[in-house]
Amino acid sequence: MYEDFLVRTDSLENVVENGETTGFKFAVRNANYRGIFLSLVTSFYVEMDGEEFPIDDIRFAVNGAAPRSMEELKKAVFEHWDMQDEAYLYVKKPGGLEKGTHRLGYMPGTIDGYGYKATDAEWVDNPPQPGKGGGKTYHVCNFTLELN
Amino acid sequence: MIKRGVSLYSYQQAEFFHQMTWKDELREVATNLNGADGIEIISETTVPRYPMPPESFYFEWNNEMARYGLKAVTYDAFMDTLQFRDHVMTIAECAERLKYDLRIAHKMGFENMRLIKGVPIQAVELALPLAEELNVRMTSEVHSPQALHAVPGTWGESIGRDIAFIEKTGTKHYGLQPDFGIFQIAPEKPLVAYQLRVSAGLSKEESFKVADELLAIYDEIGYKDKELLYAKAEPVAPSLFVKRPSPMGGGLRCAADHLFSGPTADILELYNVMQYIFCIHGKFYDMTEVEGEPGHFEDKGIQYKEAIAILNACSYDGYINSEFEGQRSQQDMGYEGLVDEVEQVRRHHEMMDRFINDHSKDMTI
Repeated sequence: MYEDFLVRTDSLENVVENGETTGFKFAVRNANYRGIFLSLVTSFYVEMDGEEFPIDDIRFAVNGAAPRSMEELKKAVFEHWDMQDEAYLYVKKPGGLEKGTHRLGYMPGTIDGYGYKATDAEWVDNPPQPGKGGGKTYHVCNFTLELN
Repeated sequence: MIKRGVSLYSYQQAEFFHQMTWKDELREVATNLNGADGIEIISETTVPRYPMPPESFYFEWNNEMARYGLKAVTYDAFMDTLQFRDHVMTIAECAERLKYDLRIAHKMGFENMRLIKGVPIQAVELALPLAEELNVRMTSEVHSPQALHAVPGTWGESIGRDIAFIEKTGTKHYGLQPDFGIFQIAPEKPLVAYQLRVSAGLSKEESFKVADELLAIYDEIGYKDKELLYAKAEPVAPSLFVKRPSPMGGGLRCAADHLFSGPTADILELYNVMQYIFCIHGKFYDMTEVEGEPGHFEDKGIQYKEAIAILNACSYDGYINSEFEGQRSQQDMGYEGLVDEVEQVRRHHEMMDRFINDHSKDMTI
């Protein structure tokens, strides 16, 4: 759901840390009609201009906290991503992106659900890989972003 | 007398786009729905910073509800069994989460708390003493593709489990919450058109044109002779009959299997379970104007008239809460193409009000 509205298309920026451009970031929304615990956010598929980024190079920033890796999100078992709130994805790319138009393929992966289900035990250790499902987004969503 | 309310789930898209807050939604229900006064919420949408909202939220909530004279009917609780991430939630942990939600629901003044289907009865049993102490009644949803009787070995088994539990314990704090989606007698046009755009890449105009053709075939044949229905419909829209792995699991299915399934419950079965019903989800997808009756609206796909006639006949005096779910099938046509949830809910209440007050004897079921 909300496939065409999951990424804010005027939110793309390069990330500068200690004077060095380390990557880029953009704003995303929770693809759900409810908020979910951060521990249920397990993956993001991010492909920018044809380059796919490994999940270890992606961090997630919400609730005013510093960007967190997927391993750190696992421990946030009582902290919520409210459905009305925007979060930022930080993607590692030394040197960042060039100014101009960029094409993004994006798909969130979450393991929220409706009670006990057959995949529960498997997903403790092996949640769906980025771009392979989970949550209420069933395909990669495409966006055109402008970096000013 | 049947009472009318709204699940704020109906306004989910307006919340997503920051067009309405829960306060706007309460005002809308209280002022524009011709006497509706019931409110149902999705816990993890309406409660800010769930599961630990600031105390000021409870004050604001109860203040706004009192301001408009609204009744807190049902709090919809969820259960994410992988919340703790390093293990599957135990039954005891599941019960603790139910109890936590019962306390929030109680502080917000709710009469009922809806549980989702995947909550085991053992967890319900552990939470029941607190539900009785707080006087918050837990409900088990009866949702499509369930029937109103137990179907052993399937997802639809739970209603048998629920009724056995109620009978065994004699509790007045566990009951049923049917969702009118089980009475889906015909496909909804926006959902058919959406599937055509997704599966065959049709334009908006084409998708509604082909949907009209398919609905005409369905009107003529119905859902019972599936072979004939599929034989006539497949040449019109082959893409709906391509079997794919379901994202929800459970093997290969085609879109037509879902769209053309017919009702999953027999409407007359309402009589058998009436005594267990605490509240009802008035599921709907598409309220359109009744032909030749300006200002009157209907959802052509769901057996509202018949269901409300039976509820009237049984003197059901609980709530039917609007649960609009037509948003998702209309979010691929740009911002301008989004459906107007507020208008849809207003139309839904025009229809329900009219059916509830229709005591004519010409009803044939």
